[in-house]
Amino acid sequence: MEKLMEILMEINPDIDYKTEKNLIDGKILDSFSIVNLVAQISETFDIEISPKYLIPKYFNSVDAMWEMIQAILDEE
Amino acid sequence: MSLVSLSFFLFCVLLLLCYWLFPKKIQWIVLLVFSLVFYAFAGIENSFYILITAFSSWLGALWLDNVSQKSKQYIKDNKDNLTIEEKSILKNKTKRKKKLILAGILLLNFGLLCVFKYANFVIGQINTITRLFNTNTTINSLSLIIPLGISFYTFQTMGYLIDVYWEKSEACKNPLKLLLFTSFFPQITQGPISNYQQLSSQLFSEHKFDYQNFAYGFQRMVWGYFKKIAIADMLAPYVQLVFQNYNQYAGITVLIGIFFYSIQIYADFSGYMDIVCGLCRMMGIKLTENFNRPYFSKSIAEYWRRWHISLGNWFKTYLYYPIAVSRWNTKLGRKCNEIFGKSVGKNLPASIALIAVWLTTGLWHGATWGYIAWGGLNGLIIIFSMWMEPVYAFAKSKIKIKESIWKFFQVIRTFILVTFIKVLPEVGSLTAGLGLWKRIFTNHTIPTSFGTLLPFVNKLHLMAIIIGTILMLIFSLIQRKYSVGKLFNKIPTVIRIFILSLIITILIIIAFGLNNVSGGFMYEQF
Repeated sequence: MEKLMEILMEINPDIDYKTEKNLIDGKILDSFSIVNLVAQISETFDIEISPKYLIPKYFNSVDAMWEMIQAILDEE
Repeated sequence: MSLVSLSFFLFCVLLLLCYWLFPKKIQWIVLLVFSLVFYAFAGIENSFYILITAFSSWLGALWLDNVSQKSKQYIKDNKDNLTIEEKSILKNKTKRKKKLILAGILLLNFGLLCVFKYANFVIGQINTITRLFNTNTTINSLSLIIPLGISFYTFQTMGYLIDVYWEKSEACKNPLKLLLFTSFFPQITQGPISNYQQLSSQLFSEHKFDYQNFAYGFQRMVWGYFKKIAIADMLAPYVQLVFQNYNQYAGITVLIGIFFYSIQIYADFSGYMDIVCGLCRMMGIKLTENFNRPYFSKSIAEYWRRWHISLGNWFKTYLYYPIAVSRWNTKLGRKCNEIFGKSVGKNLPASIALIAVWLTTGLWHGATWGYIAWGGLNGLIIIFSMWMEPVYAFAKSKIKIKESIWKFFQVIRTFILVTFIKVLPEVGSLTAGLGLWKRIFTNHTIPTSFGTLLPFVNKLHLMAIIIGTILMLIFSLIQRKYSVGKLFNKIPTVIRIFILSLIITILIIIAFGLNNVSGGFMYEQF
C-alpha cells in the first residue's frame, strides 16, 4: 500500500488520497495520469494490467486500486 | 426515413401506441420490430450486413464466454491436482484461443466496414500512384451503397464483443436481443454509440408509463427539432454557398461563414441527439448523452470529452488505453524515462496512443485526406498541449491574471481553433479547405455595407438565426447549473402547452413552408 501511495503522490501530490473516493468520476485524475499510473503500478508490482481493469471502479480510490492489484496478482 | 418528415411522425405515434398498449413483457420486441422496419426503409438489401454483424457478434460472444467458463471450471475442478505452471499454461492456452476468436470476428466486421467505406478511397490512391508512373492500368471504382449506420452499429457491437472478451460484460444469450442492441433505430444513424451493459439494462427491462418522463421526452424532442429546423437548416444554404464559392467572397465573409458552420453542425448534431434522447425518454429509456456544452471547453482535449462523447469514450476504451498501457508501450516509456528523463517517459506512451486514436478518428469520419488531416491536427494539438503543460503552468504563475478572465480567454481560443479545424475536411477536398483558410488570412477587402458583407443572406432569415442561436446559448448557460427540462416543468401546464404549440407551429411553417430546405442530418454521412 505504501508503494502505491508513493506512486500516486508522484503523479499529483496535491490530492488527499486517503479520503478521496472519486478520483475518476470526479475528474481528478485524467486519462494521461491513468496511463502514467498504470505504467508505474505495472513496473512496481510486476503485473500486467489488462484494459478490462481500466474502468472508474478500479481507480476511484486507493483502496479500489489496491484491491485491483491483489485481484491481478491472484489471477496470475 | 428522415427524422424531419410526416412519415417519421406517424412512425413515432404508432411506436408509442404499441409500446405502451402491448404487455410490458414484449416492449423490447416492439422496439425490435420497429427498428427493423426503420432499417428496411433505408433499403431492405442492406439489412443483410447488419444481420451479419449482429449474428456473428452473438455467436462470437457466446463462444468467448464458453471458452472462458470451461477453462475456469476445469481449473476449479482440478485445483488440487494442477501445479502453478500447469495452471499458467492452461490460462495462456485459453487466452490464445479467445484472442483468435475475437480477431476473426473483428476482422469480419471491420473488414465489411472497410470495404464499404474505404475501398474506393484506396482504389483512388492506387490509381493516382499508377498515373505517376505513367502506366495505363486503372482500377475501376466499386459501386457500393454504404449500409445505413454501418460506422455506428459496427463500433457499438464490436465494443460489446471486446467487453465479453475482457469479461467486463456477459454474453447475450438471445440472438434477437443482440439484434435489437445492434439495430436500435434511434441511434442507428448518428449514435450515440452505447455500451452494452448500460443500454441492455434499459432495452430489456419492463418500463412503466411515467408522465414526467413522457412530458420531458416530448419537450426535449421539440427542442431538438427547433435546433435542427430553425437553426441548422436555416444556416445550411449559406454555409454551402460560402464553402462552394469562398474564392468570390471577402475574407471576413468567409470567416463569418465558418462560424455559421460551427453553429450549424452543433445545432444539427445535438438537435438530432435531443430528438432521439427525447423519444427514448418517452419510452422510459435513458440514452447515453453525447454532448455536454462543448463550445464552453477550455482546451481541444476537453472539447473532445464534451463533443460526441460516446465516440470519444469508444476510442478511449478500445484503442487509446489498450495501446497506451500495452506492454511494449510501457516498456518504451520506461526506457525513455531512463534515457531522456521523466517528462518524455511519461508523455511518450500517451502520445503514441493519441496519434493512433486521432488518425483513426479522422478515418472513421470519412475516407478523404481532409479527414485524415483533420484527425491528425486535432491529435497534434492535444499532444502539443500535453507536452507544454509545465510551460503553460509556469507562464500562468508569472502572469498575474484573474482566473475568470483566463478561463474566458481559453474558451474563446478553443472555440476559434475548433471552428477553423472543423471546416478543413468539409469544403470538398483538403486543398479546398486550405484554400478557404488562405482566403480568410489573405483577402483583406473591407465590405462597405451589409449587402457586401453577407451578400447572400436574407435579413429575415438572419434575424431568425440570431434569435435561435441566442436562445441556444442561453439554454447552454442555464445548463451549467440547472436542468432546463426541470425549470420548464415549473411553468404552469397551460402556458407550457401554449409555448410548445407555438414552437411546433413555427417549426412546421419553416420546415414545410418558408424554408423547405430540411435535408438529412449532417452526421448521417459518417
